[in-house]
Amino acid sequence: MVQLNTGFTLFLSLLVEAVPFLLIGVAFSSLLMFFVDDRQLVGLLPKNAFLGALIGSLIGLMFPVCECGNVPVARRMLIQGAPTAVSIGFLLAAPTINPVVFWATWVAFRGQPEVVFLRVLCTLLIATAIGWVFSCQENIGPFLHENVARSRFRDRAKERAVSEDQPALLQGGTFLQMAGGETLQLDTPAAQRLVANPIQSKTTASKLQLVVDNMVRELRELTAVLVLGSAIAATVQVAVPRDTVLSLGQGLTSSILAMMILAAVVSICSTVDSFFALSFASTFTTGSLLAFLIFGPMIDLKNIGLLLTVFKARAVLYLFGLASLMCFALALAINLYIG
Amino acid sequence: MVRSPRSQSANAEANRPNKRSFRLPWRDLFDVLALGTWSAMLFRYWFGGKLLLLLHPDYAWLSNTAAVLLAILAVHRLLGIIRSATRLPERNQQAEGHVTLLPRNISSLILLAVAVFGLIYTPRAFASQTATQRGIADTLTLTRAQPQRFASAADPEDRTVIDWIRLLNVYPEPDAYTDEPVAVEGFVFYPEGWPEDYVMVSRFVLTCCAADAYPVGLPLQLPAGSGKTQYPADSWLAVTGTMMTKTLDDRRQVAIAPTEIRQIEEPKNPYEY
Repeated sequence: MVQLNTGFTLFLSLLVEAVPFLLIGVAFSSLLMFFVDDRQLVGLLPKNAFLGALIGSLIGLMFPVCECGNVPVARRMLIQGAPTAVSIGFLLAAPTINPVVFWATWVAFRGQPEVVFLRVLCTLLIATAIGWVFSCQENIGPFLHENVARSRFRDRAKERAVSEDQPALLQGGTFLQMAGGETLQLDTPAAQRLVANPIQSKTTASKLQLVVDNMVRELRELTAVLVLGSAIAATVQVAVPRDTVLSLGQGLTSSILAMMILAAVVSICSTVDSFFALSFASTFTTGSLLAFLIFGPMIDLKNIGLLLTVFKARAVLYLFGLASLMCFALALAINLYIG
Repeated sequence: MVRSPRSQSANAEANRPNKRSFRLPWRDLFDVLALGTWSAMLFRYWFGGKLLLLLHPDYAWLSNTAAVLLAILAVHRLLGIIRSATRLPERNQQAEGHVTLLPRNISSLILLAVAVFGLIYTPRAFASQTATQRGIADTLTLTRAQPQRFASAADPEDRTVIDWIRLLNVYPEPDAYTDEPVAVEGFVFYPEGWPEDYVMVSRFVLTCCAADAYPVGLPLQLPAGSGKTQYPADSWLAVTGTMMTKTLDDRRQVAIAPTEIRQIEEPKNPYEY
C-alpha cells in the first residue's frame, strides 16, 4: 500500500512538473507553425555542407518545436529546396536545441548542470555530423518518399528548364482543357500550394483559432504519451527491486543500452523527457541519462512513423543507425571519462 | 414553366429549413472536459497546499500558471463549440503530416481518467519504504546534487538535517563535531542492520520534483528501553541533543545523543531543499 502511494505520488509529481512545459512547447510550436513563414528562411541558408549542417542544427533556437513539430517543418524545408545538410541537421537537432527544452532540462538537472550542457553539445555534434554525411549524397531525391521527391522545387526548376524547349504537348502532367483549346498545367502550382504552409494566407483571427485548435490537439496527444511514460517511470521506481535497477543502471554499457531502448519505446516529447530521465538520475549512469536525452528526441517509435512520411525506409534506417551508434559512442565516452 | 416532379422534390429538399441536428460534438466536449479536469486538478493542488509534496517551491508558479492557462483553453473551446453549434459545422482539418501514436479517443480517455484520479487522490509524502528503495545516505554522493550554497548556519543548533549533511560532506571527520548542540526535525527511519536503539532522523531532499527526492539522515541514539513501539517508523520527531561519534555500518560517523525527543505532526512541507 505504501509502495502504491509512493508510485502514485511520483506519477503525479512527474505530470504536474511536466505539463506546464508541455503547454509552453505546444503553444510555441503552434504559434510558429501559423505565424512564421519558413520559406523566407530557405533563401538565407549557406551552401557549404558543414556550415549548413551546423546552421540547420541551430535553427531550432528560433523554432522551438518538439519532435512532432519538426518533421513537418523539415519536410517543408526539403521540398522548398533547402540544402540537405540543413534539413537533416534541423530534423535531428531542433527538438533538443531550443530554448524551451533547454529550460526544462535545466529545471530538471539543476543539480547536475553538466547534463544540460553535454546534452546540447552532443546533439549538436551528432546532428551536424549526420547532416554533413547526408550532404555527400549529391541528389537526395532517391532517399525521399515519392510524394516529397515529386514535389521538390529544385528538381522542378531543372525540369522546367528542359521543358521550355519542348512543346506543351510533350510534357507530362495533369492538364485542364480550357476554352479555345488552351491547356492549363495543374500539377506544379497545386503541388506547391499543398506543400507550402497552407495556413499562411489566412487572416490573423482565423490563424489564432487554428493555433488554439492545434494546441489542444497536440496537448491531447502529447499528454497522453507523457502519462504513459510517467506511469512506466513510476512503476520502474516502485515495483522493480533496487538491486535489479542498480545492476542494470550502474553498468557502463548496459545502462546506456537500456536507456536508449527506453527512449525509443517511450516516445516521450523532448520538452518533458528530462523529467522522465530525472526519475532515473539516482540509479543510472550519467552517460546513460544523456543517451536517453540525446537519442529520444532524434529517433523513437512516434518519430519513425513521422519520418517515414518524408524519407524512404532505407534512409530512415541510415539515420537510425548513425544516430544510435554515435549516441552510444558519445555516452560511453562520457561514462568512461567524465561521469 | 412546367416542372418535372423530380426537380420539384429536389427543390423541396433544398428549400427545407436547415434542420439543425442536435447531435452534440462529443469529441470536442470530451476535450473541454479533459482540459477542465486537468485545470481543476492543478488548482486543487495549488489551493489545497499539496503542491509542495510534488514540486520544488521554485517551480510552483509554473504549475499554477498552467492551471490558469488550461482553464482558459477549456473555456475557449467550450465557447467555440457553442458558437459553432449556431453555424454550419466546420470540418476540423488534420494538420499536415500529423501522425499520432495513439488514437484520439484513447488519448482523451487517458487524459480524463488521469485528471479524475488526480482530483480524488491525495499525494503522500515519501517515507521509510521509499528511503530504503532509494538508498538513504548520510553523505551526499557525487551523483547527487552538489550543494548550491555553503552557508552553514553559524549556530550548530540552527542547522537542519540537510545542513548537517552538507557540512559533513565537506568535512567528514565526526570527532570535529563532538558536543556541538543539535536541534533537528525529521521522520524516523530504521536502517537495516543497525542496533536496536539507533534510528535515523531523516528528510527527503528535492531539487526539482518528487521524482528526484532522495533521503538523507542523521543517526539518533534512542533512550534505553524505548523502541519501535514508542517511536514507530515514519513518525515525526523534533530532536535536541549533542553530537557524538559512533561506529555504525563499520564506519565511524556522527550520531545524536538526545536530551529531548518530542513527537511532532508531519510538517506541511516535509521536504528540504
